[in-house]
Amino acid sequence: MDLIRIENVTKSYAKHTALDDVSIAIPEGSIYGLLGPNGAGKTTLLRIINRIIAPDKGKVLFRGKEITAEDVYRIGYMPEERGLYKKMKVGEQAIFFAQLKGMSRKDATEKLKGWFAKFGIEEWWNRKVVDLSKGMAQKVQFITTVLHEPQLLIFDEPFSGFDPINANLLKEEILSLRDKGATIIFSTHNMSSVEEVCDHITLIDKSRNILSGNVNEIRHRHGANIFEIDYRGEEQKIRSALDGKCEIMDSNSSPIGLNTLKIHIAADDEVRGIITAANESVEIRSFREMIPTMNDIFIRAVNGNL
Amino acid sequence: MKSKIGIIIRREFNERVKKKSFIITTIITPLFMIALMFAPVLISTYSGGDTKRIAVVDESGYIAEELINNGELVFEETALPLELARKELSDYFAILYIGEDIEVNPNSIQIYNNDASSISVEQGIVMQISSVVQNKKLQEQNIENLPQILEETAVHINPQSFKNTAGKVDAEENSSIASTVLSYILGFILYMFLLIYGVMVMQSVIEEKNSRVLEVIVSSVSPFQLMMGKILGVASVAILQIIIWALLISGLVYFVLPEVLPDQILEAMAMVKQGVPPTEIPGGTELGMLQALLVLSDIGYIGGIIVTLLIFFFGGFLLYAALFAAVGSSVDNPQDAQQLQTPIMMPIIVSIMVMLSVINDPTSDVAFWFSMIPFTSPIVMMARIPYGIPTWEIVVSAVVLYATFLVVVYGASKIYRVGILMHGKKPSLKELWKWMRYK
Repeated sequence: MDLIRIENVTKSYAKHTALDDVSIAIPEGSIYGLLGPNGAGKTTLLRIINRIIAPDKGKVLFRGKEITAEDVYRIGYMPEERGLYKKMKVGEQAIFFAQLKGMSRKDATEKLKGWFAKFGIEEWWNRKVVDLSKGMAQKVQFITTVLHEPQLLIFDEPFSGFDPINANLLKEEILSLRDKGATIIFSTHNMSSVEEVCDHITLIDKSRNILSGNVNEIRHRHGANIFEIDYRGEEQKIRSALDGKCEIMDSNSSPIGLNTLKIHIAADDEVRGIITAANESVEIRSFREMIPTMNDIFIRAVNGNL
Repeated sequence: MKSKIGIIIRREFNERVKKKSFIITTIITPLFMIALMFAPVLISTYSGGDTKRIAVVDESGYIAEELINNGELVFEETALPLELARKELSDYFAILYIGEDIEVNPNSIQIYNNDASSISVEQGIVMQISSVVQNKKLQEQNIENLPQILEETAVHINPQSFKNTAGKVDAEENSSIASTVLSYILGFILYMFLLIYGVMVMQSVIEEKNSRVLEVIVSSVSPFQLMMGKILGVASVAILQIIIWALLISGLVYFVLPEVLPDQILEAMAMVKQGVPPTEIPGGTELGMLQALLVLSDIGYIGGIIVTLLIFFFGGFLLYAALFAAVGSSVDNPQDAQQLQTPIMMPIIVSIMVMLSVINDPTSDVAFWFSMIPFTSPIVMMARIPYGIPTWEIVVSAVVLYATFLVVVYGASKIYRVGILMHGKKPSLKELWKWMRYK
């Protein structure tokens, strides 16, 4: 079941089109990455899902029904430009945001105490935000985003501005929220985080959806039949053994005697023959397919080479 | 939906009311205002100015002895000739020379100031000498019983003004001094509140935009709810302040004034309240002051004015605050707001200028129309109300004001909705117009 379906959404501003006929389905319980270069339209799409702005055309469905004002109670949103009231006390402020998401004051206070204890920041309750460091404020911001236990969490560039320790903390929290049943959308251009956490992705470039799907599927689908062979032996021998069977792209030798050959094979069924031929000429230590990283796919897609 | 606006209003209200600056201004200002009202009385009672010694060189032979010393001026005749007096008597405030031919030559009075010259001293001297010379001339006419004649023919005018209400037999008393003062005060209170609290809304929007907290909030509430919540929250702070001031001032008038005022005035006020016409009050109670005090202590009248003040403040504030919010939403910092807020400030400044003319003629066409046009009506109408104007005018003006507010808030919220998500370049008025028409 898809928690969110975005159908043919188009949004234009005065001088440019931010989203052009974008359709995306976000499965319930997934961690969904929204990728794309700066200015591709990611933030606009997230704002449309949050009902902050309305699309010119198309619609957003939440559990199969067009999204309503009530549904925002089930969404937690952390925008890229994060912010809190500087002169307001941390506790009061968190309660204020929780109330806006439909929680009672009592309920909010109880849950907040729990989160503050979990992050070890109980003593900040009566401090003003202006007295907190950036990292501290981000923790508070994260708590206010997830406090009302939303079914859908939307993070716009969640890792930007976090130090490595807090970024890791955030990543673990995101995974544990998914395990508790939440669906998570986040936009990013940090590709390593995509491979580590995302189940599904959509790549948006120049306002259009150019690539969508399961992360592993995409990587394998865009594998280019490139393999690497680690071996011990003479380069000349393996080269002549493989001559005519495949294209040799690159070769490396290391001082400890372990050499690497990068090859391109035209079709899958030739793999066994190549392994046999190579095995007879040198001592093979490993033979593996080079699956492209999301980073490679991202760059190739954006440059139109996919 | 409603409760979300409620949450926003509560936050705005709590954050502002808890501030030290709010508590201090709320309590200090009325004390300051009362002090300002009574300052002239206190100053004239207790200070009275320094005594100024004037040396008089009198060649007329009779004027110097007729000059009367009062609190400010002390005349001392000197036998020294003018030249010597000017050299020797430098410790006097001034040396007054009266020529022999004073009766025929108006230029034969000379004042040599040792200190900076003072118009009030000069006028005091001239008035005294004029009356001495005039008396001398009258006596030379050899009229019998001159002092009695003068006393019997003396004229003292004390104008009585009443409100001419058709159908009412007993004309309601109406003090024009009290009206003028009240008119000024009400106009300025409204002016102050519209500006101070309007700009407060604008700054608070800019601050939310700067701290980037806006996008978090509008993911939970609609921009319209947020804007209205902010405007109503700030309005409730202002109204609380007005009510506290009204209570403090009336408390001072009821409990402190009777202790401070002379018994004579209190007795006179009591007599008027029992039905004695103010013109027949014995004793030299100043009538204008009496009437002003009577107006101040008329609970029904003052209560009515406070209610209309709240109605017009609320309407005017909603109108201007919506505009200020729109300006705040479209810029990134207060400097950029300067230019865009000029069109909003203009009607407020025009109102104050019109108000000054209203005080001279509260029923003129200018006064009428400016108290109907919604952007100037709050201030101008409040300035007219103390003079007593037909109820229908007040009702029509209020209805127009609130109707305009609905239109303006609709347009402003459209700008606000787009503006709060825009960062960077300051938009032009043309761009703001475009924003209003986005879907």
